[in-house]
Amino acid sequence: MTSPKRLSQEHQRSLERRLKAGDEHALGELFDLVAPWILGLALHILHDEDEAEEVVGDVFVQVWRHIDQHDAGRGPLVPWILSIARNRSLDALRRRRRWRRKSTHLEQAQEMEGGASAPAASHEAAVPGWPVHREVHAALAALSEEQRRVVVLSYFEGMSHREIAQRLRLPLGTVKTRLRMAHQTLTEGLRHLKDWVE
Amino acid sequence: MTDWLGLSAAPRTPRPELKGRVLARALAPRRRWRGPLAAAAMITLAVGGGGGAWWAYRTIGTLTTERDGLVARVHALEDTVSTFIHGPATRLIQIPVSTGGRVGSVTIFADSVRHRWLVRCDGLAPNARDQAYQLWFITDSGMTSAAVMPMNEDKPMVMALEMPGGGEGDPRVLGAAMSIEPRAGSASPSGPMVFHRLL
Repeated sequence: MTSPKRLSQEHQRSLERRLKAGDEHALGELFDLVAPWILGLALHILHDEDEAEEVVGDVFVQVWRHIDQHDAGRGPLVPWILSIARNRSLDALRRRRRWRRKSTHLEQAQEMEGGASAPAASHEAAVPGWPVHREVHAALAALSEEQRRVVVLSYFEGMSHREIAQRLRLPLGTVKTRLRMAHQTLTEGLRHLKDWVE
Repeated sequence: MTDWLGLSAAPRTPRPELKGRVLARALAPRRRWRGPLAAAAMITLAVGGGGGAWWAYRTIGTLTTERDGLVARVHALEDTVSTFIHGPATRLIQIPVSTGGRVGSVTIFADSVRHRWLVRCDGLAPNARDQAYQLWFITDSGMTSAAVMPMNEDKPMVMALEMPGGGEGDPRVLGAAMSIEPRAGSASPSGPMVFHRLL
């Protein structure tokens, strides 16, 4: 089995330079590197394989056409791409909610929410970035249950503070406080990833 | 920081056909008539109805996208190569190399106006699973990584690269080098040098 690989910042910078120079091979390499993570994130949010694959397409179109908008000084390439993936997934989720077409499916998916964040099968460990995944997953798991719940609703379901307060039947101020504390804890716990180099 | 949270979701290996579909879509040109065409197709569909019309619409749409993607890729490659080869400010540098007991070459079309390089590698031995070729710019302030090139197959590789800087105070590119590094690339050359050439 291939050993787990880190996402090298040098590799990310090299890909970014080539993408900016219009190198199509670089887009293929980027797909191999990050598509599993984009698909995993989109599936986590949408619980629908077809929609998640559509999001993967949307993300790569946006990355290819707007790579110049990525400011390398503000962070590595992969988190930027993941933020696009999250936003696209949440857009799709909101569209779905608005249309109320798949409410039954969504309820089933939400029931499975706990299981979905568990680590995947062992062969996924060969995907580049797996060690970083474990660190981020562990940081999220280390939050208290009440903090983790608001982070998951905010980050993965795109709910506003007010919506979270209504869902959890909590005062709005409590939700904001829990989110702020969770973000502080995560920032502290994941600080080393910001300057991460293989 | 929260951007890293995306990595807390477990990865999922995409279906093999997804890569081709996604790349064709991303590289396809943006066509202004596609919207009206889609609208016309939808109207036809609404008027005519029936599964056959829907199937035909989907099939034509898929084939059109695929064809457009391939045409765009060919045009883009032709443009890129033509710009480099025929550009008045392009220098051609050919460097013979020897890797894994075989002789190959690295050809650099250096476009000093657009600050871009087109690099073609021929006859390089495929890398070991944990290694990759890494191309370096030799600048007046040291070596800067240009590209990490994992080579799994025995076939030529062509890539376009943006040269560092180009503005006042930016490092000046004096040459190029290539070394064999760990698969993910290195911040500075550490492995065996394939070539080192001042231009």
